[in-house]
Order: sequence, then structure tokens, then C-alpha cells
Amino acid sequence: MTMSSSSTPLIAFDLVNKWYGDFHALDDISAEVRKGEVVVVCGPSGSGKSTLIRTVNRLENIQGGTIRFDGNDVHAPSIDLNRFRSQVGFVFQSFNLFPHLSVAQNIMLGPVTVRKHKRAQARTRALELLERVGLASKADAFPGQLSGGQQQRVAIARALAMDPPAMLFDEPTSALDPEMVGEVLQVMKSLARDGMTMMCVTHEMNFAREVADRVWFMDQGRIVETGPPDEFFSKPRSERARKFLADLRSH
Amino acid sequence: MDSILSILREYGVLLLVGQYPNGPLGGLAITLLLSVLGLALAFPLGVAIALARMSAFACLRFPALAVIYVVRGVPLVMFIFWVYFFVPVLTGRTVSGFTTMVVTLVIYQAAYLAEIVRAGIEGLPSGQAEAARAIGLNYRQAMTKVVLPQALYNMVPALVSQFVSTIKETSLGYVISVNELTFAANQINSSLMTQPFQVYFVLAAIYFCLCFSLTRLARWLERRIAARREGDAAAARATASAAIPSVAPQQAA
Repeated sequence: MTMSSSSTPLIAFDLVNKWYGDFHALDDISAEVRKGEVVVVCGPSGSGKSTLIRTVNRLENIQGGTIRFDGNDVHAPSIDLNRFRSQVGFVFQSFNLFPHLSVAQNIMLGPVTVRKHKRAQARTRALELLERVGLASKADAFPGQLSGGQQQRVAIARALAMDPPAMLFDEPTSALDPEMVGEVLQVMKSLARDGMTMMCVTHEMNFAREVADRVWFMDQGRIVETGPPDEFFSKPRSERARKFLADLRSH
Repeated sequence: MDSILSILREYGVLLLVGQYPNGPLGGLAITLLLSVLGLALAFPLGVAIALARMSAFACLRFPALAVIYVVRGVPLVMFIFWVYFFVPVLTGRTVSGFTTMVVTLVIYQAAYLAEIVRAGIEGLPSGQAEAARAIGLNYRQAMTKVVLPQALYNMVPALVSQFVSTIKETSLGYVISVNELTFAANQINSSLMTQPFQVYFVLAAIYFCLCFSLTRLARWLERRIAARREGDAAAARATASAAIPSVAPQQAA
């Protein structure tokens, strides 16, 4: 009972395996994201990091092992998948806002449809969330009228509308023009400061240095090394991580 | 030319509405009614077949595939005969030519609409359905709130084109004596005896005006939808570039 909450795993991978045909996409992944922790997953492209994060809310199936979210086996056939998914915030690389709905309607869709909240109540909440991501004035705009950075911030607000205990970010800034990366990272940093449990696939190493509690480095479907960002960036243990960081810096 | 005008003067009303209000409705009115009913009733069926066709369950997918391939592989006239002779046997009572034609068109159009709906759904970025599922919407909610509203909007031009083919297909109702436009023209030809060219010219002109204007409408809608999408993207680019300090003017100076 006196155990500190930060030691309880919220997301736990145990010997997770996944194949695409002969390609071993995830190879014996075992790792944990604890409550309130910010984990950054990095690695070269094709290393399986996006696949890994997508298995957490079952956008991808796995062929072996277990993934537990707050103790529940995510890939068990008996799980109420829609209810579970509504409790995990997921932010996509390509935003995936619904273009036929206004910004506020995008955010309200989950609460109204899944949680059966009243429209008025859902709208009030949507406006609060827009305030939080700095887009209060855009409630009635349509996604097509927003810049990429603004769209991604709306997508974050949409995920937050379900009050998720954890947020998953799949390369949230990779599709953005460089000058818009900052505004999205800022929102993510403020979430991290508020104690949100986060798992982020990203190449933004400054973000990782600043807010991550731990970095997982992946290559060829395996987690090669994990550690606090300071340690990982200053003295990576594996040869592959050293090469990856050198490539990253040379750009 | 005179004879065409006199045909229009004398038989114009018959071509438009048949013997109505003194007799049954017919002519162009029935043609349009058949087309609208045929397409409107076929539409929900087409969506259902399309969803079954894309289902993960083979027990839904195979029947849908069978319907689509059979219907697309058989001429419409053959279907009219099948419905004409078999629906009375099935229901145990006589069925009017109009009902026969509606039933035929619904089955026939549903199979074609199913492929249009499928193309519309598959044309959407897969991220749309994924994002809907990621916030916890179930399959039905994701379809009705996210996928179909976008897919159907994109499909509007194809639907208008389909309406045009339906109008032309109703002329086959003639073979089972449905009192539609072609049937009315044929009646006029029988009573005039000597002016088949003029009568069928009028018939062709009516079909052409109707279908041509609808085809133009479809083209216009297509451009409008494309422009709207382009406009959205352009607006986004404008907002985005407004954030970058502009370099170009300095180079010019």
C-alpha cells in the first residue's frame, strides 16, 4: 500500500513477438512503462518502434507474448476492445482528424458517442482542452483550414477528451514542417509535466533529453538498450546506438 | 420538322404523364419514378452489400461477392424476365409490370452501387477508420460517424452517373409493357403508323436532354468537390506559410 505509484507498471510488454510473413517485426520485447513515466522509443526506421506502440491499443495484433495495460491482457479475446481503446489516447503521425467535422466536433465525437456525454457538457470540455493546446479560437474551424501543427494539437486534444490514463504518440512531429514541430512538442511537454504517462515514438532528441524518464532504443525488432536520457545520449552502451546517434547528429 | 412539332403538340402530354389524370400515370413521369425508386431503394442495399463484401467474415463476403458477380455478368433484360416470371410464383399472386421493374432495378443497381460504395470507402485514407477505432468507436459507429459520411460525399458524382444509367435502363420496362416513356412513344408510333423516324427522334431527344444535363451536373459536382478539397489544402498551406518569415521579398529587393 505504501508502494510509490511510480513503480507500478501501467503498460507491460512480456516476450512480445510479431511477424509480417517472414519478417520478424517484434522480437521478444519485454519492457514496462510505469505510471507517470515518460518513455521515448527511438531507433532507425524499420526497427519496429511504430509497430510496438500500435500493439498497445491493438491497432496491430501480436503473435506471441502478452501486453498488459493496468493489469489487463490487451490481446485477450475477452477484453472489451472498444471500451479499452477509449481509455488510451493515441496520436498519429498523420493527425487523422475527421475532415468533415469541425474542430470541436472532432473532440466531442468520442465523449458523445462512446461515453454518452451530453453535447453541451462535451462541448464545454472540448473548449477547455482547446484552451489547453492553445487553439481556443479554432473551435468551429474545419481541419482543412488549420496548419499541420494546429491539426496535431487538435488531435492531442481529441485524445485527451477521453481522459486517458496514458497517451501514446506515434511520431507526432514527423509529418510537420520544421517550424511547427515546437508548438506540438510544447503541448507534449506540458502534458508530461502534469504527470501524464506517455510513450512516444519520436526522433526529437531534445524532447527526449528534456522530458523523458527513460529512452528505449530499438533496432531490428528488439529493444537493444534502455536507460535515462542523459546516460543514453552521452554514453550509449551498444555499438548500434552509438552509430544511430552519430547518424542523427550528422543531419 | 412540322411533323415533329405536331407530334409534340398532340402527344406531348402523353409522353410526359401518360393518360393521367384520366387514366394511369405513364410516360416520362413513370420513367423518372422508376429511376428514383430503383436507385433510392437500391442504395441502402448497395451499402449493405459493400460492407459485406469488405467484411472480415467469409460468410458475409462470399454471398456479397456472388451477388455482385452474378448481377454484373447477366444482362438486365434477363433479370427482368426472371423477376417477371418468378416473383409471382414466389409470392403466389400477380405482380404489376411497374413492381417487377422496381424489384429488378433495385437488385441490379444494388450490385453496381455496392462497387461504387466500396471504391468510396477504400478511397479514404486508412487513418480515418483507425483514428475512429482508436478513440473507442465500435465498427458501426466508426462507419456511420466517420467513414460513410466522407465516402458518400465523395461518391455523389458517381451516384448521379448511376442515376443516368438507371434512367436509360428503365426503357427496358417496355418488354414487359411497363407504361414508361419508351412504351408511350411506341404507342404513338403504332397509332400514327407512318412517322417512326419523327416519333423515335422525339423519344431520343427527351432521353438525351435529361441524361446529358444530369451528366453535366455530375461533372460540375465532381469539380466542385475537387475544388473544395483543393481549397482546404490551399487554406492550410496559406496558414502554414504565414507562420514562416517570408524570404522571397528580401531576395527580390
